Amino acid sequence: MFGYWDALYFIFIFIVSFLLALALDKWAKKSGMGTKEKGEATKVFISGEDPEKEIKGFEHLEGYYTGRNVMWGLTYGLKRVFVVLQREHTGLLTDYVSYLVITTAFIMAVLLIWG
Amino acid sequence: MSTIHTVLPLIVVLPLLGAFSSPILDLISRKLKEAWILAISAGTLGVTGYVFYYVFKNGPLLYTMGATNPFGHANFPIRIVWEIDMFNALMALTVAFVSLMAIIYSVEYMKRDTGLEKYYPLILILELGMLGIVVTGDLFNFYVFLEIMSIASYALVAFRNDTWEGIEAGVKYMMVGALASSFILLGIALLYGQYGTLTMAYIAYKMAGHMTTTAKVALALLMAGLLFKSGSVPVHMWLADAHPAAPSSVSAMLSGLVIKAGGIYILARILFSIYGPSINVRTVGWIVIIFACLTLIVGNAMAVVQTDMKRLLAYSSVGQMGYILLGVGIGLAAYGSNVGNLALAGAIYHTVNHALMKALLFLIAGAVIHALGTRNLNDLSGIAKTMPVTSFAFIIGAAAIIGMPPLNGFASKWILYESSALFNPVIGAIAIIGTAFCTAAYVRVIYTFFGRPNSLTMKAKDPGKSMLIPIIILTVAIIVMGLFPWTINKDFMLPAAKALVNQMGYIHTLFAGGV
Amino acid sequence: MIPFQYITSFLLIFIGVYALIYKRNLIKLILALDIIDSGVNLLLISEGYRIAGNLPGTAPIYTGYETLKGVPMVGPLPQALVLTAIVIGVSVTALAVSLAINAYRHYGSLDIRKMRRLRG
Repeated sequence: MFGYWDALYFIFIFIVSFLLALALDKWAKKSGMGTKEKGEATKVFISGEDPEKEIKGFEHLEGYYTGRNVMWGLTYGLKRVFVVLQREHTGLLTDYVSYLVITTAFIMAVLLIWG
Repeated sequence: MSTIHTVLPLIVVLPLLGAFSSPILDLISRKLKEAWILAISAGTLGVTGYVFYYVFKNGPLLYTMGATNPFGHANFPIRIVWEIDMFNALMALTVAFVSLMAIIYSVEYMKRDTGLEKYYPLILILELGMLGIVVTGDLFNFYVFLEIMSIASYALVAFRNDTWEGIEAGVKYMMVGALASSFILLGIALLYGQYGTLTMAYIAYKMAGHMTTTAKVALALLMAGLLFKSGSVPVHMWLADAHPAAPSSVSAMLSGLVIKAGGIYILARILFSIYGPSINVRTVGWIVIIFACLTLIVGNAMAVVQTDMKRLLAYSSVGQMGYILLGVGIGLAAYGSNVGNLALAGAIYHTVNHALMKALLFLIAGAVIHALGTRNLNDLSGIAKTMPVTSFAFIIGAAAIIGMPPLNGFASKWILYESSALFNPVIGAIAIIGTAFCTAAYVRVIYTFFGRPNSLTMKAKDPGKSMLIPIIILTVAIIVMGLFPWTINKDFMLPAAKALVNQMGYIHTLFAGGV
Repeated sequence: MIPFQYITSFLLIFIGVYALIYKRNLIKLILALDIIDSGVNLLLISEGYRIAGNLPGTAPIYTGYETLKGVPMVGPLPQALVLTAIVIGVSVTALAVSLAINAYRHYGSLDIRKMRRLRG
């Protein structure tokens, strides 16, 4: 009737690609000029941020980095949408009640016209 | 009277007994009370498991309160009935399972809190209300159980009344929730005035061919009230306030179960089993679809910009409810066709999956709060170093909720994408945009967990046994359910969807009543 | 013609919803919820009321009913429902009042415009 898939295939593919990657790594280490096991080359390098770099005047932010800025592009691009959505969540009880009443009125109107 | 008719009432009797006997046992010994509560909820799980097995083997089941058949001396059903088909039985099993997990978890999680002689009764009453809602076949009985559930959840949201957050969220949830409940009662009163009965199947029987304006107004009131209870978007704001404010074990039950049993389940039951083809299914279906699209975009999008971990999870719940509503809406708009049945099966599948996944994620959030005392994402970097088991479980849960292939979330979401794309490609595209936002939100949390540890997170450690066991069981359940998605869909979800769509079958079960 | 009980009950419901939207004192909002509940209960109870000819209905638990054929009996079901609904309404009100006390402790005010720290 509809598409078919099986989770076991995914696990199979995962295992095969893991073994391939492992073999590739072994082969590359053997045939290459030697891998740097210490120093700069082993640093984790995520989204262009160097965790150990010290910036003058921003020492209070140093020491850890978080997922705060990971989706920076998305949040910046859709800033207007988020501002509107956050503004609508006013926290006022009367607003919550009026949204419920508006929803009821909307459903009732649609049902009475086209129901 | 066969065994099943003797066992079935225990679904509600056991939690009720446990709820009101536990304060007495608390006077004797705290350990004894905890063991008693665990035994009660495990027993409830056993009963629901037996009922599920029975319904799976023998088809729908009718139970009349205090008698052998629903008719008495009249020629129409006058007694309160419970009607259980595949859909109910599946929901009841989910409710009992996740409740047991939350109760095991709270033994350790709530250790430092006071007022535990009120906490355990309330949590059992919450479970009782949900189980009652999912088994009942009588509209007023449903209302009573809905209020039992709602009052218990208002009280549990405001349980930590020494914090402003719980009280504020409780006040807002309670005021608007009580209004929504009044709307639901008004709808039931209008239906009773129109058709003179409260038995759902008999209303459906009388409604076929006699659709009136009053019944439409009643449907509008019921739908609005239940959309509120299930946290659909313009009326989702209470959810984002209330679910983070509750203790985490309660949040897991609220997000995993309450919005489904008290919202989606009964909404689907009213739309399909009572109204069904009597009303213009295309219009009603499209109303639900519109709300679903709004819900899944706004809920998932708002999750991206949260800095509070539990609030992020609560908004993600709103988003996932959108998918379930989408399945229900498509099932109604394409009533009776293959696409409709498949969408409905996907919705039911996602309901069960989301109950497991969101319960797991909230329990993990609770473990983090328990260890660190904060839930601000900016303070949680590097937890993976000190809490490896918890972080691993979080990765599994987040991957499942995003819909990564070998896990259960992928199966249900795939069915929903497929059916919505077949129904209307635009809706399929909207569903995928929602998932993109969902991914963004969870990637932020995972990045945080695997960042470099700060001085606070270095001191954290994995929680104790009682908190770790439910987390591990739920993780295993998610992985195992992901291994056999096609079997589960064919054997459990599609029959459940077909039982829901089969309105004649629902009516027939009532009239064939008796033991 | 619509019976006046129905009109009254819908008026009560509208008054309650109006108060929930436009009033700001928490106690007044709780009263508004009570008024809505009363409206719905009035609607339910008046649905059970029957008049045959000029004879008004009798209470459902009326032991002499069997001897008085021809006297209409009001529906017993709505009365049972309304009793249940009243009990539920009382427990909701009790919880709401206790929450209001706690809210006053934390915020020093019952004005719901002051209770809006949960936003965004």
